[in-house]
Amino acid sequence: MADAAATAGAGGSGTRSGSKQSTNPADNYHLARRRTLQVVVSSLLTEAGFESAEKASVETLTEMLQSYISEIGRSAKSYCEHTARTQPTLSDIVVTLVEMGFNVDTLPAYAKRSQRMVITAPPVTNQPVTPKALTAGQNRPHPPHIPSHFPEFPDPHTYIKTPTYREPVSDYQVLREKAASQRRDVERALTRFMAKTGETQSLFKDDVSTFPLIAARPFTIPYLTALLPSELEMQQMEETDSSEQDEQTDTENLALHISMEDSGAEKENTSVLQQNPSLSGSRNGEENIIDNPYLRPVKKPKIRRKKRILKKVLNSANINFPCPGASVGAAGPG
Amino acid sequence: MPLTGVEPARMNRKKGDKGFESPRPYKLTHQVVCINNINFQRKSVVGFVELTVFPTVANLNRIKLNSKQCRIYRVRINDLEAAFIYNDPTLEVCHSESKQRNLNYFSNAYAAAVSAVDPDAGNGELCIKVPSELWKHVDELKVLKIHINFSLDQPKGGLHFVVPSVEGSMAERGAHVFSCGYQNSTRFWFPCVDSYSELCTWKLEFTVDAAMVAVSNGDLVETVYTHDMRKKTFHYMLTIPTAASNISLAIGPFEILVDPYMHEVTHFCLPQLLPLLKHTTSYLHEVFEFYEEILTCRYPYSCFKTVFIDEAYVEVAAYASMSIFSTNLLHSAMIIDETPLTRRCLAQSLAQQFFGCFISRMSWSDEWVLKGISGYIYGLWMKKTFGVNEYRHWIKEELDRIVAYELKTGGVLLHPIFGGGKEKDNPASHLHFSIKHPHTLSWEYYTMFQCKAHLVMRLIENRISMEFMLQVFNKLLSLASTASSQKFQSHMWSQMLVSTSGFLKSISNVSGKDIQPLIKQWVDQSGVVKFYGSFAFNRKRNVLELEIKQDYTSPGTQKYVGPLKVTVQELDGSFNHTLQIEENSLKHDIPCHSKSRRNKKKKIPLMNGEEVDMDLSAMDADSPLLWIRIDPDMSVLRKVEFEQADFMWQYQLRYERDVVAQQESILALEKFPTPASRLALTDILEQEQCFYRVRMSACFCLAKIANSMVSTWTGPPAMKSLFTRMFCCKSCPNIVKTNNFMSFQSYFLQKTMPVAMALLRDVHNLCPKEVLTFILDLIKYNDNRKNKFSDNYYRAEMIDALANSVTPAVSVNNEVRTLDNLNPDVRLILEEITRFLNMEKLLPSYRHTITVSCLRAIRVLQKNGHVPSDPALFKSYAEYGHFVDIRIAALEAVVDYTKVDRSYEELQWLLNMIQNDPVPYVRHKILNMLTKNPPFTKNMESPLCNEALVDQLWKLMNSGTSHDWRLRCGAVDLYFTLFGLSRPSCLPLPELGLVLNLKEKKAVLNPTIIPEAVAGNQEAANNPSSHPQLVGFQNPFSSSQDEEEIDMDTVHDSQAFISHHLNMLERPSTPGLSKYRPASSRSALIPQHSTGCDSTPTTKPQWSLELARKGTGKEQSPLEMGMHPVASAPLSVFTKESTASKHSDHHHHHHHEHKKKKKKHKHKHKHKHKHDSKEKDKEPFTFSSPASGRSIRSPSLSD
Repeated sequence: MADAAATAGAGGSGTRSGSKQSTNPADNYHLARRRTLQVVVSSLLTEAGFESAEKASVETLTEMLQSYISEIGRSAKSYCEHTARTQPTLSDIVVTLVEMGFNVDTLPAYAKRSQRMVITAPPVTNQPVTPKALTAGQNRPHPPHIPSHFPEFPDPHTYIKTPTYREPVSDYQVLREKAASQRRDVERALTRFMAKTGETQSLFKDDVSTFPLIAARPFTIPYLTALLPSELEMQQMEETDSSEQDEQTDTENLALHISMEDSGAEKENTSVLQQNPSLSGSRNGEENIIDNPYLRPVKKPKIRRKKRILKKVLNSANINFPCPGASVGAAGPG
Repeated sequence: MPLTGVEPARMNRKKGDKGFESPRPYKLTHQVVCINNINFQRKSVVGFVELTVFPTVANLNRIKLNSKQCRIYRVRINDLEAAFIYNDPTLEVCHSESKQRNLNYFSNAYAAAVSAVDPDAGNGELCIKVPSELWKHVDELKVLKIHINFSLDQPKGGLHFVVPSVEGSMAERGAHVFSCGYQNSTRFWFPCVDSYSELCTWKLEFTVDAAMVAVSNGDLVETVYTHDMRKKTFHYMLTIPTAASNISLAIGPFEILVDPYMHEVTHFCLPQLLPLLKHTTSYLHEVFEFYEEILTCRYPYSCFKTVFIDEAYVEVAAYASMSIFSTNLLHSAMIIDETPLTRRCLAQSLAQQFFGCFISRMSWSDEWVLKGISGYIYGLWMKKTFGVNEYRHWIKEELDRIVAYELKTGGVLLHPIFGGGKEKDNPASHLHFSIKHPHTLSWEYYTMFQCKAHLVMRLIENRISMEFMLQVFNKLLSLASTASSQKFQSHMWSQMLVSTSGFLKSISNVSGKDIQPLIKQWVDQSGVVKFYGSFAFNRKRNVLELEIKQDYTSPGTQKYVGPLKVTVQELDGSFNHTLQIEENSLKHDIPCHSKSRRNKKKKIPLMNGEEVDMDLSAMDADSPLLWIRIDPDMSVLRKVEFEQADFMWQYQLRYERDVVAQQESILALEKFPTPASRLALTDILEQEQCFYRVRMSACFCLAKIANSMVSTWTGPPAMKSLFTRMFCCKSCPNIVKTNNFMSFQSYFLQKTMPVAMALLRDVHNLCPKEVLTFILDLIKYNDNRKNKFSDNYYRAEMIDALANSVTPAVSVNNEVRTLDNLNPDVRLILEEITRFLNMEKLLPSYRHTITVSCLRAIRVLQKNGHVPSDPALFKSYAEYGHFVDIRIAALEAVVDYTKVDRSYEELQWLLNMIQNDPVPYVRHKILNMLTKNPPFTKNMESPLCNEALVDQLWKLMNSGTSHDWRLRCGAVDLYFTLFGLSRPSCLPLPELGLVLNLKEKKAVLNPTIIPEAVAGNQEAANNPSSHPQLVGFQNPFSSSQDEEEIDMDTVHDSQAFISHHLNMLERPSTPGLSKYRPASSRSALIPQHSTGCDSTPTTKPQWSLELARKGTGKEQSPLEMGMHPVASAPLSVFTKESTASKHSDHHHHHHHEHKKKKKKHKHKHKHKHKHDSKEKDKEPFTFSSPASGRSIRSPSLSD
C-alpha cells in the first residue's frame, strides 16, 4: 500500500499547496513538479518491492532524484552552450550522463523492462511568469551587423555612462598626502589603543592621557628584537629585491637615480659596501665536502674512557715537552 | 737567585739587549686546562689545570702563579701534595681601617699591589711550595708537573655568564658563557702564568651540555660524548706557543657557520641569528686576503673562529686563533650604517691576530709596538677598502683625538721606562694613576695610547717608506713562525715576543735608516706639538714671511725641532717647502714663485696636477698667495692654529683636493660669517664629487654661520632650498621623495642636513617655524616602502633634528610645567616622539635606534623646561633586560639629571648599578658617563659632596671592584674628577694634618710589595742552607693531612683547607719565613670574597676554631667588618711601615716632621721608630691581630 500512502501524502501536500495556489503561481508550478517526482519515487519503490515507506525517506529520495535531474539539465545546458547552441540536444544529455558516470548503454534496456509502471503525466500547469523588470528607457536595437537571433541588449541603465568631468585622484601630491596621513592615523590609533589597553608611562604627572607612552617592558633576550629584522621588513626586502627599486611612482626619482649611478663616486661607494658577494661562489663552496672539525660527528665514549684520555693527555704532553737541556742552555743563568 | 734576576733583566732590555730573560726561575712549556663541569644555573665552573714546568735554577722551592677568584682545592706537584699560599693584595688595596682618602695615596698603593702580583716581575697571587721530596729532582732541573684543582663560583670577572630567565633548558634559553677582561685577565678563570711573555703549548678540554658548543683556541681535535651521552667533551690542541693571556673560551648553544670561502674559518652566533651571521661574515675572507697579501705571510694559525655573544665586555676581543665579538655587531643586508662599523671591527680583530695574539710582547712597555702595528695595518686595510679620503679623514680624526687628550691630561707615553721605582722618575706624574702596569691605567688613557701607537707607526712609515715597513713586519712574523714550529726548543719561543729594541733593530736592519730621533720624540717622550702660525707677504721681496711659534710649556706639549713641510698654493701652482724648525728661529722666509698678476686669464694648477679656473676677484690684489698649509701630511703629532684671511680659507675649501684641508678650512670658516663663506659652503654641499664627510661637516658649519649672520641673512633658511632640490619632488617641493638609499653619499647627506638645519635660530634665538614645519613634514611624508634599505637610522636622525630644534622654554615665575602651558611647537614635537616611541614597541627598529633618539629628545625637552624633569621614565628604560643601546641612552639621561638636579637619590641609584648590574659594559659605561658629565667637580660646592659619598666611592675602588681592572680604574677616574688628587674638601677638617703627612709619605709607602720581594730575595739567598731547615716544614703537613679529612666539596671547607695549609706553611720558623709572614698574613686568605676578608676574629689562635667561624663568616658584611678595626689596624699599619723602613732616610725625616698628629698615629710612628729592622719581624705578635692568630707562635701549634 506504499503507493496509496505515497499518493495520499502527495495528495495531502497537493491540497495544501492547492490552498496556496491562489497566492503564488510559481510555487504551484514547482509543487506540481515535485508531486510528480514523488509519484515516480513511490512507483519505483513499489517496483523494487517495498510495501510502505516513511514519509521522510520518500522525501529524501525525491530530493535526490530532483538533484540528479537538475544536474543533468544544468550540465547538458553547459555542453550545449559550449558548442554555441541554445537548445540541448540528445548528445548533450548523453555526454552529460557519461560525464556523471552513468552507463548509458543500460538505459534502453531499463526503459523497456517489463515490470515498469506507467504514471500519468503531470498536470499541465502554467510556466511561472518572471516578473517584468523595471525598464528604464528603450532597449537599443541591434546594430545591423549583429544577427537578430542574438540576445537583445540589456536595459540601457546597465551600460549607459554618465561622464563626470572631474580629474581622477592621480595627483602625486595628493596621493602622498593621503598615504602619509592614512599611515599616521593608523599608527596613532594603534598606539593609542595599545596604550589604552596596557600599562603606560607619562611625561606629565598631571596628565596621563594626552601623550601616553606604552610602558617600557624588559625582554628576556633583548638582542633578538633589536637585531632581527621584523617580518614586515623581511617582506619588504623580498619585494624590493625582486622588483627593481627604480619603479617608483615619482618618475623624477628614476632620472636622478640613474644620473647618480653614472657618477664615478657612486660606483666607488657601492664597491665599498658591496652587498652579498656572488652567490654562485658560495654555492660552489657548499657543493664540495667541507672538512670542518665542528661538522664532524661527535664520538661515542669509549669504555673506561676517562682513564685513557687522561693517559692520552699525559702522553701527548710528554711528547710535546721541549728538551729541558736546551732550555737551560739558552735561558738559564749560565 | 730567582727574584733578584728580574731587575737586571729589565735593565738589559733597556740597553738594547735583544735577548729575553724570563723573570721566573722556571720555564713553562705546556699547560692543560680541563673544565669538566659548567653549571649555568649556579654559574660555577669546576676543573683543573696542569702546568709542565722546567726549573731553570737549582734551588727552586717556590713557584708563583697567578690566580684570582678561583677556589683552589689542592695542588700537587708530580703527584705529591704541595702546600700553597693564596695572597692577593689587589682585593683590598688600602686597608679598611685606613682613614686615608686621597687619591695619590691610593694610586701608589694600588700600583704597589698590582706589582706585588705582576707576573712580569715574577710574582703571583698563588705561591706553591715545592715538596721537599722533589728538591733533589729540582736541583737536576727536571720536569715538574703542577696539578691544580680549582673551581669558580659566580665569577664577577674573567668569565661572564649570560643566562636569560625564560623557560626551557639552558640551551633553549640561549644561555652562554665566555671569557673576557682587560689585558691579561686569564687568571680570573684558571690558575696560570698570566703574562704575555710566558708562552707554552696548550691542551684545552671542556665538558659541556650536549646541546652546547665550546669554542676555544687552537684546533678542535675531537668531540666525545660522556658515558651518559648527555654531555660532550671538546678537546682542543694549541701547538703554537701562546701566552695564557691569549687563551679564551666561549660556551653556548651556538649556531655554526663554516665560512663558504675559507673552510678552516668557523663562525658562531646565538640561536636564531644565523641569517645575520651569514651576511655579516660574508666579507671576512677579503680582509684575510688583504692582510696575507701585504704581510706576505699566511695567517699563523691553522683555523680561525669568530664568536658573537651577548653582553660583551668589549665589542672586539682578539685571542689566539679566535675572536669574540659583541652580538650587536651582527646586521642584515638592509642596514647601511652598521655595515662599515662591523667590518672595521672584523678587520681590527684580524690585525690583532697577527700582532697581539701570534706575536706577543716581552713586557708592558713594549705594548705600543703591538698596538701600533695592528692599528697601522688596520689603517692600510681602511685605505684600501674605504678609499684614501676615508683613510685621511680617519687619521685626522685620530690625530685630533690624541692631541685633545694629551693637551687635556698632559701626555701619553708609549714606551715608559721605569728606573728604580723612585717617585721622581715617574714618567707620568701628571696623571692620577700609574702607567707602570696595564691594570692601573684609565681606560680612556689606554684607548688614546692605542691611537697614538698607530699614528706613530704611520710616522715611522713616512720616514722609512711603506715597503720597508711591511718588510719589517714580515721579518717579525717569519721569525716568530720559525720559532713557533720549534716544538722541542722552548728557549726559541722568545722569538715570538716583540720588544721595542728588537723592533727598532729590525727597522734599522731593513731600512738602514736611523729613526732614533723620531722614536725619542714620540715614543720615549709624551706630549704633542702645538704650532701657531701666521704670515705676511712682502711684496717688495716677493717673499712669504711665515712665523711659526710653538707652545711647549703647557701640559701635554713638547718642543719640536726638525723638518716641517709647508705647502703654499700660489697663482702659478702649488709648492712644497720644508722648513727646519729650530730652537730659536720663528720666522721663515719663503720665496714666492709668482707675481700677482690676476688679470691674465689662466688656469691655476693644483697640487694634484689638475688645472682649474678660479674666480680670483676675492683675493688680495698684491699677493699671489691662495692658501698656505702647515704640515699637510700630518707627519708630526701636532695641533696647528694658523691664521690666514677668510678668502684664503674659502679658496682652500673650494679648490684644495685634500679632505683634511677641506675639513680644516670648514672649521676655520666658522669664524668668518660672511656671505662669501656661505657661498663657499653651499657650493661644497652641492658638489657631488666632494667627499661626503666634508659635505656633512659643511652642513653644521653653515648652520653656525647662518646663526651668526641672522640679522643679515636673506632668502630661505640655510640648506632648505638645497635639500628641497636634492631630495624633494619636483612637482611638490614640500614633499620628500620616497626613500631610496642606493647612493650612500646622498643618504648620509640626507640624514645630516635636517639635523644641522634644526640648529638654525632666528633673531629671537628660536628655531624658525619654517624649519620645524619642514622637519615635521619630512617625518610625515617619510615613505620607505620601496626602499631596499632600512630607514631606522634616518628616522632616528629626524628625531635628533627635532631635539636640536628645541630652545629653552620661556618660563613665567618658575611655574610648574604642565600640559596647559605647553608651547604649541613643542606639542607637535612631543606628538611625534610619542608616536615613534610607541611604534617602536610594536615594530622595533634595528638596534632600537629610534627609541634611543626618542629618549635623548625627551631629556632635551626636560632640560629646556618644556616637560617636567623626571628620571622615572629613563630609569625604567635603564633596567636590565632592555637592549644595551637603550640602556646606555637612558642612563646618560639619568646621569645628566643627577648633575642638573643634584639628586642624591639618583646618584645612589647609579652607584648601586655600577656595583650590581649584570652587564660589565654597562657598569663601565656609567662610570665613564659620570666622569664625563660629573655631578660636581673638585672645585665646586655641591650638596652631593659629602663624607658618605667619599667613603662609598673609596670603598668602590678600594675593594668593590677587585674583579675587574677596568672598572676599578674607572672608579679611580671618577674619584679623581669629583675630588681631585688630594683629600676631598668635604671631609671634616681635623684630620687635615694627617693628610699632609700621609701625602708626603706616599713616596715611602709606595713599595708595599717590598716585604714579599725581600722575603723572596732573602730566602733565595738563604736557599742552600734553608733546605735542611725546611725539612721539618713538610712533616707536620703530611701528618695532618692524614689526620684531617677535609671535604673538598664545600666552599667553606676549601677556605679552611687553605688556611690549614697556611698554618702548616708558617709553622717552622726560619728567618726567611718570618720575614715573609707580615705580607702574607695581612692580606686576604680567602680567594673570593673581597669585602671583609681582611678581618678575621680578634683572638683565637687555633685554626679549628677559625674553620667554624669561616662557615658563617663567608659573606661577612662591611658593617661587621667595622667591628674589628682596632684589632686589625695596627698590624697592617705596621706592615706598611716595616716596608717603608726600607727607605729609611726618607722616612725618618717624616716622622720627625709630623709630631702633632692624632694620638693613634703618633703612637704607631713612634713605635716603629724605636725598633730596628730585626725587631720588626717579631712585632706583629705584640698586637692581638687576627693574622697573628695563624702565626707560628700560636700555642697550640708551636711545637
